[in-house]
Amino acid sequence: MTDHDEPHDDARRTDDTRRTDDTRRTDEPLVSVRGLEKYYYEQDTLIDRLLRNDPVSIKAVDGVDFDVYPGETLGVVGESGCGKSTTAETLMRLREPTGGSVTFDGEEVFEMDGDRLSEFRKRAQVMFQDPFSSLDPRMTAGQIVREPLEIHGVGTREERRERAADLLERVGLSADQTDRYPHEFSGGQRQRIGFARALALEPEFIVLDEPVSALDVSVQAQVLNLLSDMQAEFDLTYLFIAHDLSVVRHICDRVAVMYLGEVVEVGPVDEIFENPDHPYTEALLESVPRADTDERDREVTALRGDVPSPRNPPSGCSFRTRCPKVIPPDEVDLPQKSYTDVTTLRNRIEREGLDLEFVWEFAGDPDREDTAAFKETMREEMFDSFDADFAGEDAAVMDEAFDALAAGEVETAAEILRERYASVCEAVNPELPDSTHPAACHLRDQPADVREAVAAWEADDGAAAGGAVGDGAPAEDAGSSAD
Amino acid sequence: MVDDDIPSTVATSEEDLLRVEDLETRFFTEEGQVNAVDGVSFAVRESDVFGIVGESGSGKSVTALSLLDLVESPGRITGGHIWYRNADLAEEHRERTPEAVDGDFVDVLQLSEGQRRALRGPSFSMIFQDAMSAFNPSLTVGEQIAEAVEVQRRAEANPRSVRSKTQGYGLGSYLSGLVLPQRDFVNRQSKLEAIELLEKVGIPDPAERADEYPSQFSGGMLQRAMIAMALAGEPDVLVADEPTTALDVTIQAQILNLLKDLQAETDMSIVLITHNLGVVARMCDRVGVMYAGEIVERGTLEDVFDDPVHPYTQGLLGSVPDLDRPGDRLHPIKGNVPDLIDSHMDDRCYFADRCPKAMERCLDPPGERQVGGEHAARCVLVDGEYDESEALADGYFEGSTAGDAAASEGSTADAAAEEATSDD
Repeated sequence: MTDHDEPHDDARRTDDTRRTDDTRRTDEPLVSVRGLEKYYYEQDTLIDRLLRNDPVSIKAVDGVDFDVYPGETLGVVGESGCGKSTTAETLMRLREPTGGSVTFDGEEVFEMDGDRLSEFRKRAQVMFQDPFSSLDPRMTAGQIVREPLEIHGVGTREERRERAADLLERVGLSADQTDRYPHEFSGGQRQRIGFARALALEPEFIVLDEPVSALDVSVQAQVLNLLSDMQAEFDLTYLFIAHDLSVVRHICDRVAVMYLGEVVEVGPVDEIFENPDHPYTEALLESVPRADTDERDREVTALRGDVPSPRNPPSGCSFRTRCPKVIPPDEVDLPQKSYTDVTTLRNRIEREGLDLEFVWEFAGDPDREDTAAFKETMREEMFDSFDADFAGEDAAVMDEAFDALAAGEVETAAEILRERYASVCEAVNPELPDSTHPAACHLRDQPADVREAVAAWEADDGAAAGGAVGDGAPAEDAGSSAD
Repeated sequence: MVDDDIPSTVATSEEDLLRVEDLETRFFTEEGQVNAVDGVSFAVRESDVFGIVGESGSGKSVTALSLLDLVESPGRITGGHIWYRNADLAEEHRERTPEAVDGDFVDVLQLSEGQRRALRGPSFSMIFQDAMSAFNPSLTVGEQIAEAVEVQRRAEANPRSVRSKTQGYGLGSYLSGLVLPQRDFVNRQSKLEAIELLEKVGIPDPAERADEYPSQFSGGMLQRAMIAMALAGEPDVLVADEPTTALDVTIQAQILNLLKDLQAETDMSIVLITHNLGVVARMCDRVGVMYAGEIVERGTLEDVFDDPVHPYTQGLLGSVPDLDRPGDRLHPIKGNVPDLIDSHMDDRCYFADRCPKAMERCLDPPGERQVGGEHAARCVLVDGEYDESEALADGYFEGSTAGDAAASEGSTADAAAEEATSDD
């Protein structure tokens, strides 16, 4: 075991040196992504146009920036639907981008054509998640690995055959397996074949799209070890897409965290895992169950609700509807938990459509007469500690809002609550500042233009006592709860 | 079977609610007989969470289905006992079928088909991994939960009759349903109860959501709805088969918290089937580790996670990258899970071909041995340390029919990349 560990330790050491000079990085990034956008449109057929239906955009990737440096592994993590796979496929030019730019080794990927594109396709490769659908069932393992060589006309027939056999051996399959078909292999072995195919053209850069998430843990560990061995041996640069955070921590040098089509935090792996700056990253890390006997007693505060629909993303910071640290306005002095309860209520009213009928029924008064009982139910069901936390102005505002709800005036209630409780998080979209560990959160350092927007909003907020600025003001959301 | 093995000496407890003994479930397929569950024994205590953890193909899901007698053809439970403690049920059957009763325990497998079906709901209930396919896409979520409530309500009204519960599901009602599509099988009371159940599992605006179809629910919400349906009969034992595997990690945290809260509230026992060791650590009091249709190690969570005896358990724990302590190289288990086809399985320890500590003694099937307290393992290492002089030669299993894939991995021993596959 010890002699097996040695080559790996070497690899680690180079990782560490790379990490230490991270702050003063002088080398050029191999891949540089700026403002990458990929939108899909609904209601965009000819008939819809004739009927003048406005197309609905779904922002799968909404302005993503990151760099991948030579020899490193950049992890991209996030929940399903956050756009991590779309980002990878778009930057590889497997999908047409809606906007933004990607440079590979200094060259603009989206402007390549002819020989240059073909050259790019040699130097950058992809390995896919699903070991069952990513291999052609009618080709043998050898043919699958040879195919890229044939397409790019590398070597003679005999050389290609040799190279394929050699690659399959390198990834841990035996020479006599080259003539077998994918269905004769296990999931882990199929991923090895997919990896051998990705290695065939001696690429510099490989996108690994959830390469181990379909595998059992013991097999997953085999493939992870293989990936790091091959990286050390061939000096590869990886973009590693995953949702499993422990795998990411194990294999990546730097990590980008995505939420709803945006990168919310980027940083060196240890910093992301030990000192996460974005509340979403924190929540993700807290959610992962550890394989440890202390796990049962660990208090886990689960995030509220689901990821919002990308058809109707929240205004401002896209995480604010679930964020436990959403920022209250200066004049509000509530405990954080009670303030987040207020924002949850506001989201229910403005975005999801609160079911008033059910509240009345729950209050035991379906005839909608006993307003006091209705208000009591709201206070009990929507808040953890209403009576203790809400006093003076807050109690009065909430009472007014409950009265409006009891009268069925949802818009008015939304307006009353917004006036007092509107947060900077819903008004101004935070961005990633230029640093080694940036986070798109108003609680952290923000770029100058975001700071200006915040100042403008605060001034406006103070003067007009409410009302939001910027794109997608909450007022527009209020009526669009019917999704 | 118990006769072949050293009899299990694991202590039984007063609190046992369920005692599974030598359960065997086989599938009779065209490729041959598959021993999906091969003599599994474990006990589930009252208000306890028992975890069954294993890789895909280890037989853990079939074990779950066997508990509820939901194994479908070509599969069949071919042996063993599922003793379920229920004083009323025992009283009921003591006269008629004395062989199925032992004290307060009733052997569920010896009851008739109808009697077993009647236990589903009030005694045993199940939630599945893929909520989207567990729901009928053409009925609203509320209707489907109300139906479960209705079945339980009818059962309580007339516990002896199986018929009353399925009334309204016959050919006649099917035909009339075609003519009168608005016909309802459930009454208003059941519908209100369904909404209450949805509220209980934390679905916001439950009355509104009850009228929506499964496709309008997110994955996490639908999983909650399925839990609501499973709770309709207030079961003693909830079998949860990979309840969070299809979910994102933040939603998984919500569902696990929900299951914990519900369990504390209702005092039910949970049998949790999962491949995720973190989920086991979070939820379970006791654990069984399954491999190739057998429970190879079982005990309290601390026994299994802190002092694993079986090399498979050790390998499984060593394969998981640690979120809080990164950096070490992973120590995977070489090879792959065997396919469980009877003719491919040699009569030996099924893990021997992948085991770093395989010895000549492992060529005999090891019985379950007690390690101490509730801790037991199917491994000769319980009797004594690994002895290198007895070690099996490298490549001993090469070319044997068991685990074709595993054998071929071994044959690349001279290849440069071999170190990637078999670290040990």
